Amino acid sequence: MIKARGKSRFWIIFFMGALLFGIRWTKGAGYLDLYSILLKPILPGTAQREWIKQGENIERSIRLKLLEDDNNRLRRALSLKESNFEQRISAAVISRSSRNWWKQLEINKGSKVGVLKGQTVIGPGGVIGLVDSTTPLTARVRLLTDPGHQLGAWIDRTKQHGVLTGMGTNRPKLIFLNTNGLAKIGDAVTTSPASTLLPPNLTIGIVQFVNEKALPSPYAIVQLTASPEAIDWVQILKNNGQK
Amino acid sequence: MAKNNKKLFILLTIICLQACTIISPDWLKINGINPCWPVILLLPFSLRNSPRKAAIGSIFLGIFVDSFTIGDASYIPSLFILSLVWSAYGLHNKKIELFLNIGLMAIFGTAFVGLSLWFQKIIIYSILRNNWFHAWSFHVLISEVIITGLVAPFFSSWLLLTYKKN
Repeated sequence: MIKARGKSRFWIIFFMGALLFGIRWTKGAGYLDLYSILLKPILPGTAQREWIKQGENIERSIRLKLLEDDNNRLRRALSLKESNFEQRISAAVISRSSRNWWKQLEINKGSKVGVLKGQTVIGPGGVIGLVDSTTPLTARVRLLTDPGHQLGAWIDRTKQHGVLTGMGTNRPKLIFLNTNGLAKIGDAVTTSPASTLLPPNLTIGIVQFVNEKALPSPYAIVQLTASPEAIDWVQILKNNGQK
Repeated sequence: MAKNNKKLFILLTIICLQACTIISPDWLKINGINPCWPVILLLPFSLRNSPRKAAIGSIFLGIFVDSFTIGDASYIPSLFILSLVWSAYGLHNKKIELFLNIGLMAIFGTAFVGLSLWFQKIIIYSILRNNWFHAWSFHVLISEVIITGLVAPFFSSWLLLTYKKN
């Protein structure tokens, strides 16, 4: 009887010791897991997660605004074009001729609201063209895809400048100004930060094909990120243009 | 009365042309390409008038259509030549209202206008001379010829008959 009691005490002590050793070895993992399971019902829910995300977004937009202001101040100091995205005019596309001999759009805002020739027109995704002419109530936009339409652009990754030239298809050609370290497929093409005509760093498209051996100059084929055929609303940036 | 009708008809034609060019209805497109409206309108006018009148009409039409396009390529040279050819053809052929005949003339006219615009663009924009195969031009040319060939027999025949009545 005394022998059996001693044996069971041994096993209790053994299990307790093993348990303690296990807790120590796992650094209390079991306890922590159990604690988290018990705590789950009173943890911050999805609503709180959204509040936190919202807070993060507000913080990011404030930071973006500060950086933009800083960037504009520096650009002003260097006499470069500013990217003031607050000065935008929204307009609807009233006529589209994006596949004809002339690649153009007619929009329902004109000189009456301050649209000027040469202003940049952007759609969801990036730049789609420049204002070619205006009437008091409408403006005609020459698309980037129009044959012969030329625009300064650069590859952000390699800092290589080039001339984006419309070829009639949905994929304009970026003709590089020099020959080495040009671009890779997938590189983003944006308006040049050194441009004195266009606002800087506006997305144009993605490089789809590169021909480094082409003569007289190497080129890349760019897939536009904004498709003029599917856009019904555009925005005109007011910070460039001529009367 | 007849003269007034003609004036009204010309006015309506001009408004219709403008509307068709600007609105460019989707249901009247092939691969996003409109019919060549200047050809559709010039064809009956040239067939019913003297070469001089047709030539003047084509120049005015060309100036009018050019005002709705960007760039430097113009409709005027091709429309001018077409007006002279069609007018000469119209003077010698009496049964020109035939449905298919009109369609065929519109097809050739559209191809000529398209080739003229293409050629002008090649001259104006040196970048297009780097590669002589322009897929987009073939695409526009073929689609425009097809849709104009389908639309012209209806519109142009109707216009021709109306010209005759007036």
